[in-house]
Amino acid sequence: MNRKSDIVVVGSGLAGMSAALTAAQSGKSVTLLTHGAGTLAISSGCIDVLGYVNGKSVYDPFEAMAELPAEHPYSLIGGEETVREALSWLKGMCKKGGIDMAPAAEQGNHRLITVMGTLKPSYLCPDSFNPDCLKDVHRAAVVTVENMKDVHPGLIIDQFHRYDEFAGKEFMEAVLPCPIEHAHRNITPLDIARHVETPEGLKWLEESLAPYARLYPVLLLPPICGMKHSQQVWNHLCTVLKVKIVEMVSIPPGVAGLRLREAFKKALNLAGVYTVESAEVVRAEVEEGVCKALYSATAHGECGWEADNFIIATGGLLSGGISTAPGKAWESIFRLPLEAPENTEEWSSPDIFGSSFFASMGMRVNSELKPLDAEGNEVLANVRFAGRILGGYDFAAEKSGHGVALATGRYAGMLAGKE
Amino acid sequence: MKHTTVVIIGGGATGIGILRDLSMRGVKAVLLEQGGIASGASSRFHGLLHSGGRYAVKDNEAAKECIEENMILRRIGRECVEESEGFFVLSQQDDPAYEKPWVEACAKAGIKAEPVDVKEALRLEPNLDPTIKAVYRVPDSSVDGFRLVWHNAMSARRYGGEMLTHHEVIGIDQEGGKVKGVRARNLVTGEEIRISCDIVVNAAGSWAAKVVELVGLEVGVQPDRGTLVAFNHRFTSRVINRLHMSSDGDIFVPHGSITILGTTSFHADRPDAHEAPTEDVLKLLDIGEVLIPNLRSYRILRAFAGTRPLYVAKGSAAGRAASRGFHISDHGEEGLDGMFSIFGGKFTTYRLMAEKMCDLVCAKLGVHAECRTAIEPIIESPSPAMLEKATKYFPVHSVPLVANRLGDAFPIVVERAAAMKSNPLLCECEMVSRAEIEYVASDPSSQSMTDVRLRTRLGMGTCQGTYCSLRTIGALTECRMPFPLSPADNLRDFLQERWKGLRPALWGLQAREMELGRAVYAATLNIDGAKDEQKI
Repeated sequence: MNRKSDIVVVGSGLAGMSAALTAAQSGKSVTLLTHGAGTLAISSGCIDVLGYVNGKSVYDPFEAMAELPAEHPYSLIGGEETVREALSWLKGMCKKGGIDMAPAAEQGNHRLITVMGTLKPSYLCPDSFNPDCLKDVHRAAVVTVENMKDVHPGLIIDQFHRYDEFAGKEFMEAVLPCPIEHAHRNITPLDIARHVETPEGLKWLEESLAPYARLYPVLLLPPICGMKHSQQVWNHLCTVLKVKIVEMVSIPPGVAGLRLREAFKKALNLAGVYTVESAEVVRAEVEEGVCKALYSATAHGECGWEADNFIIATGGLLSGGISTAPGKAWESIFRLPLEAPENTEEWSSPDIFGSSFFASMGMRVNSELKPLDAEGNEVLANVRFAGRILGGYDFAAEKSGHGVALATGRYAGMLAGKE
Repeated sequence: MKHTTVVIIGGGATGIGILRDLSMRGVKAVLLEQGGIASGASSRFHGLLHSGGRYAVKDNEAAKECIEENMILRRIGRECVEESEGFFVLSQQDDPAYEKPWVEACAKAGIKAEPVDVKEALRLEPNLDPTIKAVYRVPDSSVDGFRLVWHNAMSARRYGGEMLTHHEVIGIDQEGGKVKGVRARNLVTGEEIRISCDIVVNAAGSWAAKVVELVGLEVGVQPDRGTLVAFNHRFTSRVINRLHMSSDGDIFVPHGSITILGTTSFHADRPDAHEAPTEDVLKLLDIGEVLIPNLRSYRILRAFAGTRPLYVAKGSAAGRAASRGFHISDHGEEGLDGMFSIFGGKFTTYRLMAEKMCDLVCAKLGVHAECRTAIEPIIESPSPAMLEKATKYFPVHSVPLVANRLGDAFPIVVERAAAMKSNPLLCECEMVSRAEIEYVASDPSSQSMTDVRLRTRLGMGTCQGTYCSLRTIGALTECRMPFPLSPADNLRDFLQERWKGLRPALWGLQAREMELGRAVYAATLNIDGAKDEQKI
């Protein structure tokens, strides 16, 4: 027998969870179908809104939004006003979930520090990632943990010396002893972050940072300051050690992304969203341009999910929202064709970081985020798309991934909530 | 100015094979290579150690050479050979009339080809199409071409042979119709050097014609592009050939946990035509599906291409029909005494080619030493005590792999690892540890992370560099490796090299993997944006 709710959301990344929570907060009954953890599990947990437009660095992402083409998701949903509202809503949600977001940087974007020693523009980040304090100091220590293969202070400092904004500053390498048993497996920031939530883990971090805290006013750390209680851990360490700790943006597993995911899950539970895990949507039932139900595959057969409105936030190439074959691309649930050159070689640029067609390949939608066909006609009356499934932007080159996911997810949730 | 007896141009299997052979015979030799060791066709083929079955009908002489060399290489280079054996399979689409002459030709060439009952063959290779008509077992094998060339290089060094990589030959000096020396440019520093010598051996493969152009001569070498596809799965235990006249896309060669499908044959207008076009990949998939029906369900790791240095005598056949035999030109006959070119041939017969070339060089020099390359193992096997010691510093299951890969350098790397506080694996897919990476990076022939990748196989596995490249550049920067590129540029260059192989097959699971790479390196680490913001 099929289950019924007002709204069904598919996908538990930032877009799907924002949509589900927004819709539930408007009083609707919401079912969230998930398959896998979503890309928050590999994300930096910071909200990149817009860092580059046509390869040019931007300071104020909202000012730069005006330069975006009409088919860009930000342009479709109303630009600055909609995006700002979504950001402030997220800030509130995070606050309740135990993560304090830092105030925006003076110029607009923060320049976050990565474990590669590069700087990355991002608009909204947790307190613990805020690099502002580096402006006022001349010395800082770059800290790693023994056997943490992805974080090398030597590389980070070498890279810092290539930035004008760090000219004249002195950086020192620091390696903390590894607090957990290891074989030949990777020690990742996630392992240490989990350990730091235990009393002995916190004690270890406090004690091993203490000597450096006496010498340096700022300590740069991999994201290891706890998981569910990261804010408390970070506050505690900054207070007792009398230093500023700045966490660096790291590669998967996404510690800070998982912290954000936890905050969302808490909020989704409180809002009464019915979440179904391991529910891969395999087909849709559509009658005369209206979606009646989605079907997920389980070990016992198909399970049907009926609703008045549907929000699809299944992600792009990586998460499976977009399927591809030689010369062909389509949306995975409704099998809607996506525009793509027949010759696969035209999909990508010879330069890995050049401008490639596939990078902005995705669903074409109208200003209500409803899907359009090649002629621009709406093809599904009660289905909206949000997040990386949308076409018209390149999250990687623009540094706009979470910004678009959040803003379109929230917008889709608001529109569906009003119907 | 440097002086030596012989200058060899080209650091592929043939050139390095000649360097080893000459060095073993006590002849002083210096090898010049414009790129890295084995960066041309010697690492850009399917890695098949031919039984000769493929050439039996068309070129029985070449087939005979193959089977003889095949047996020699299993012995002297066993660290590089996976004795997987091979099947020749007659599919429904193949002409059954080819079977009988093929069996006879194999017998004539001395290739053992035993019929296998089709039912039994399907039991052994369940991914084969069930409608196949006939199967024969032959002594094909898989060979790691890159490793074999490197082991030869190590052996050559042990005997006093010298190699200069990243050196492009820019001129050949002559006086009175005799070779006097070679001029080369270091492509990393721009510095020019001159080496005086008595003999020049041009073993530049597809570049051979460009080398003799320097002295105004011509050789009949035609670069011929062969595209290959590497899959992230091993779906056959054995090498699988089609039982028909050699054609495109009809060989599957399993290596470790992957499979390589090849190859195409297209006239190439330049020797470095290493881009694999999507068109070739699709063609290979179409043909490959005849034997492996579910071929398209496997994830493609990458597509790559190499150029065969085919020998085309004036007015004879080109492409697939051209001879796979090899050819030596003594340019003394054209008025330049002391200059030789060697081209054509196959990887499987590189040792024989080197032997014949060295026989000529030695005769000219009046050196009477015998060739020993067919009897002496290329590298010494590590001692049981060293293998035992290695288990303390490397994951136990990786020790045989690491020992085989490193050859002579294995004890040095074990000692290095023993002296380190810890020796983490930086590339889990190919089990490459920090000690090995540091050792290879400190070799003068390594100028970039890409060079390190080629020698260690770093980043060649499932993740295609997504996870291992950041930590490797971190480790290399920390131990202050004096590479000419900045860390970020080195990383970009490394990822760009990988990208070349991903692009032609950008769909399905491969596209997902690629998107993860962009999420990590562009979205998270901003190495694209940092390019314009950092000082060199």
